[in-house]
Amino acid sequence: MSASCILLASHGTTGARAAEARALAEAQRTGAVVMHLLVVPSFWADIRGDDWLNGGPARDAFSTYVEDLLASEVEQEISRLGKAARATGITLHSHVRRGQPTQCLLDFAEDCLPQLVIIGTPRRKGEPGYRSRMTLEKLARGLNAPLLVVPRQVEQPENDSPHE
Amino acid sequence: MVYTHKHPALLVIGVIFLAIGFLTAGGMLDGLIATIGARKYIGEMIWLGYILGAISLLVGLWHLFGTHREGNLDYYLSTIAGAAFIMLVAMVIRWYVAPFVATLSKAMGPVMGDKYLHQVLGLNYVVLGILAGIIIVNTIGVPKWAQNGVRLSRLGLKTGVILLGTLYSLAELQQLGKLSVALIGFFVLGSVGLVLLLGRMRGLPNNMTGVLSAGMGVCGVSATVAAAPVVKARAIDIAYTIGTILLWGVGCMFLFPIIGHMLDMGFVQFGAWAGTGILNSAQVAGAALAYQPDGIETLKVAEIFNITRVLFLPIIVLWLALWFVRREDNGERVNIGQVIVQKFPLFVLGFILMFALSSTGIFAPPQHYKGKYFDNNIPESKLLKPEEAALLKAELPKVQREDRKAALLRLIDNRKIMSREDDAVIRGLNNAKVLSKQANKLLKKAHKAVRHTAGKIKAFRQWITLLFAFGLTGLGMQITMAAIRQAGGQPLVVGGIVGTLKAVLSLIVILLFVHETI
Repeated sequence: MSASCILLASHGTTGARAAEARALAEAQRTGAVVMHLLVVPSFWADIRGDDWLNGGPARDAFSTYVEDLLASEVEQEISRLGKAARATGITLHSHVRRGQPTQCLLDFAEDCLPQLVIIGTPRRKGEPGYRSRMTLEKLARGLNAPLLVVPRQVEQPENDSPHE
Repeated sequence: MVYTHKHPALLVIGVIFLAIGFLTAGGMLDGLIATIGARKYIGEMIWLGYILGAISLLVGLWHLFGTHREGNLDYYLSTIAGAAFIMLVAMVIRWYVAPFVATLSKAMGPVMGDKYLHQVLGLNYVVLGILAGIIIVNTIGVPKWAQNGVRLSRLGLKTGVILLGTLYSLAELQQLGKLSVALIGFFVLGSVGLVLLLGRMRGLPNNMTGVLSAGMGVCGVSATVAAAPVVKARAIDIAYTIGTILLWGVGCMFLFPIIGHMLDMGFVQFGAWAGTGILNSAQVAGAALAYQPDGIETLKVAEIFNITRVLFLPIIVLWLALWFVRREDNGERVNIGQVIVQKFPLFVLGFILMFALSSTGIFAPPQHYKGKYFDNNIPESKLLKPEEAALLKAELPKVQREDRKAALLRLIDNRKIMSREDDAVIRGLNNAKVLSKQANKLLKKAHKAVRHTAGKIKAFRQWITLLFAFGLTGLGMQITMAAIRQAGGQPLVVGGIVGTLKAVLSLIVILLFVHETI
């Protein structure tokens, strides 16, 4: 299959790293550009939930703290993948979206019109991570490009990165 | 940024409220109101319908046709749409849905002793309001035009607590204060310590243990929010902890009232248990109002416990900060003064101020007991009926204490309580549960007939109820399943152990040592 644009959805989990490796290999083989999508799950907007006892300063401190945490995680992921792409001479553009992972991927696919979409397998039960995952059925119905779900490599080192 | 949405929703809400007020005042809803058993809300439907309707209509017109520019006026007026949306949901539940549920439940007959299903499950306007909020946010979502105002629910709850300050007597505050400091002190410090211990035993990272101990020990999500930056919690720790606390909090809000009814707990006992055993402070208020929807005695006790918990918060944050600095290289030295100022709950000062004002007699004469006064000049209709007096007479031999026997005799002879002293003795007799349930009901009836609430205090009670209904429905709209679903990992295990231990042990302690007074 030849692809001039590959859409890779990854947030650095064990499953997603297998997808990254496959996307980079595919891009190297076909010369395609990799469009990397990183989703910050929308539940973070509600995570403060029903806190009502704190005053403004404590809430602001928490919001700033969480935003900085998420920004730093995003930066690390983008930088790690960018380094791997540069090492193999692949053109990679990273994009960050906030929302439901499946919807974000569908929206992003409409924007960049990829020839191939690559994602990893869901996190296994018991592994640490957020409960915010892709809905395969919705993806299969909504995507106009082939979808490749890359199984994790058995020898892949365990990673305690929290993201799904 | 301009916050106001040019949307007709607020205008429509205004029309709905005005229609409710108008139709109720004109008697056009009498049939419906009688069918669902909502007569006691008729007055509220009219005056609140008109007030909320007028405000929503005026501001709704401004939202729709006005020219909006960035600034404070735009920001504050934009919140009215969300606040009106919460009020509409809360009041439809309070005026129509909850009475209808109660009517249906009564039609099914008692399910536990003389209690109906809705009483056992606590299905009243507060719990149904929170449920409605949770359902709305997790299905259709809070509409964009309402999102800014939904956050006002926090202000509603804080204002409710501040007004609650008017309803305590000094003796009551002293008694409850001592009890809450003892129980909260033991269980908060105990559960914080236990989480720290379990965390070490299970080899959890210090960040995770630190943030979890605050959430489990003090006041749930609020404590997690306050402690997370101090112990440098990772994103996953925060998500796990808040998910676990929300899951437990919502579960406990439904479970505690059921257990309370099964054990026939008194208002003070239940308020103390909810205030100690429920992890999240919002659900403490919800459970208290679920247990006693038509009165606020349980809420008063539970809120004193909530206030004591939140007063412990700066202390716990400081403890965790020092604990974290000792264990981690990246721990920052804490500025004690800054922590206390930042974490001190200012609304508690408002509560104290209202209590102080109330104590001066500004709202009701100072000799009033819990905002009520004694007056036995009552109409014939309020006297005990002759057959009711006869029932009490038949049970007179059960009473051993001479003072109780004498007070009861005077009540039987006059068919009403004759003095303030007799009233205190009769309340004691009722609490002692010496007589049958039916006789105790008559004692309560006689007590209620001679105790009157001052007009201002009555108004405060109503406003407090409305503010809590508003606040809790709004908070329900901020509890998403996506956040609850994050419950997991070690926090769920450790939280499960500590949360269960805290709930069970506090229940045992309260049943053994806390006795009821009215």
